[in-house]
Amino acid sequence: MADAENDGGPSAEGDAEARSPGGSAAPPDSSAAAAAAAPVAEEAQADAKKKIDVLLKAVGDTPIMKQKKWTVERVRTIQGLSQFIKKFLKVEATEQLFIYVNQTFAPPPDQDVGTLYECFGSDGKLVLHYCKSHAWG
Amino acid sequence: MTDDRDVLRDVWFGRIPTCFTLSQDEITEREAEPYYLLLPRVSYLMLVTDKAKKHFQKVMRQEDVGEMWFEYEGLPLKWHYPIGLLFDLHASNTALPWNIIVHFKNFPETELLHCLTKDAVEAHFMSCIKEADALKHKSQVINEMQKKDHKQLWMGLQNDKFDQFWAINRKLMEYPTDEGGFRYVPFRIYQPLNERPFIQKLFRPISGDGQPHNLGDLLKEMFPAAVTPEDMEKQYQVVIHGIEPMLETPLQWLSEHLSYPDNFLHISIIPLPRD
Repeated sequence: MADAENDGGPSAEGDAEARSPGGSAAPPDSSAAAAAAAPVAEEAQADAKKKIDVLLKAVGDTPIMKQKKWTVERVRTIQGLSQFIKKFLKVEATEQLFIYVNQTFAPPPDQDVGTLYECFGSDGKLVLHYCKSHAWG
Repeated sequence: MTDDRDVLRDVWFGRIPTCFTLSQDEITEREAEPYYLLLPRVSYLMLVTDKAKKHFQKVMRQEDVGEMWFEYEGLPLKWHYPIGLLFDLHASNTALPWNIIVHFKNFPETELLHCLTKDAVEAHFMSCIKEADALKHKSQVINEMQKKDHKQLWMGLQNDKFDQFWAINRKLMEYPTDEGGFRYVPFRIYQPLNERPFIQKLFRPISGDGQPHNLGDLLKEMFPAAVTPEDMEKQYQVVIHGIEPMLETPLQWLSEHLSYPDNFLHISIIPLPRD
């Protein structure tokens, strides 16, 4: 898997479907069992996985990324991801880009995607919507 | 129940005596006197420092005034963290007043977010509330509210109006009677001088077999070193709103009563100084 950028940006998954995380505990989903069961074991395995799968979706008339599925390091911030998307879409660095989780809230720019994945990931990935204007307030 | 409501008021009206001093780096036309303020613990620096800003601008030339930012002992203060959290995290065991340095130039781009208008504070605040409700109620409560209710939460905070704020916020503190508590508790655990910004994970207030979790249970899961066995020396202070709640405190109760207006429990874990 070649890296899309040389500056340590998210690496591409290729054209195929994103690989489901092999062998690790299921990420938090909506079932009660997942969160209640052996949290320590889950945490240890999750920490061992340094990258998480992200699915980027465009909102409104914001340009669509040709590459929607990315593997991103847990420590990458929302701000870093935003900069990457802007570069990829050839959007001016000075233009605003808002990133939303659950189509509800925009996390602060210094929040890392790893934490968001832990809390709001489902089916092995974190879905993020991006928009050049305020989409959900 | 009366006592519980008193707790809500005590949290809301918590204040930190602060002394603002202009940085030596700033160019002034005459000497700038320090400016004293009682900062609300539950608010944000950019919401409550207009008077301080005006005070210092009086002794500066217009062209020397850039974006204002604050620093404590060399550390730029993140305006998007509640004031009480910043104090607990960085200045807990120091003498009052809290001494903050004010800057108008050399904005530390890599360490702080810009805050050009109060709209930025409102957007951030509302986003935190929405994130908290996503954890507590799968966003059902916040999404059912009208825009004017959202606005009332913000106006309540901005204007320091406890009743106005809680008229709406109480709905965010409700839960289905058969559940026993929220789905997950919105919390963030911070350490001073740490690489990662904070610890935030999914954690239920009530266990699978109906047992209420307490603060100690949360810490055992997220930061075990803060829960000291009886015979060992305490290494950390666990501080929320300037106090160390007992580890036996039910987590659901903590979430309902000691959350900040953004509906998050912001918990500071401070290493005790070693002799």
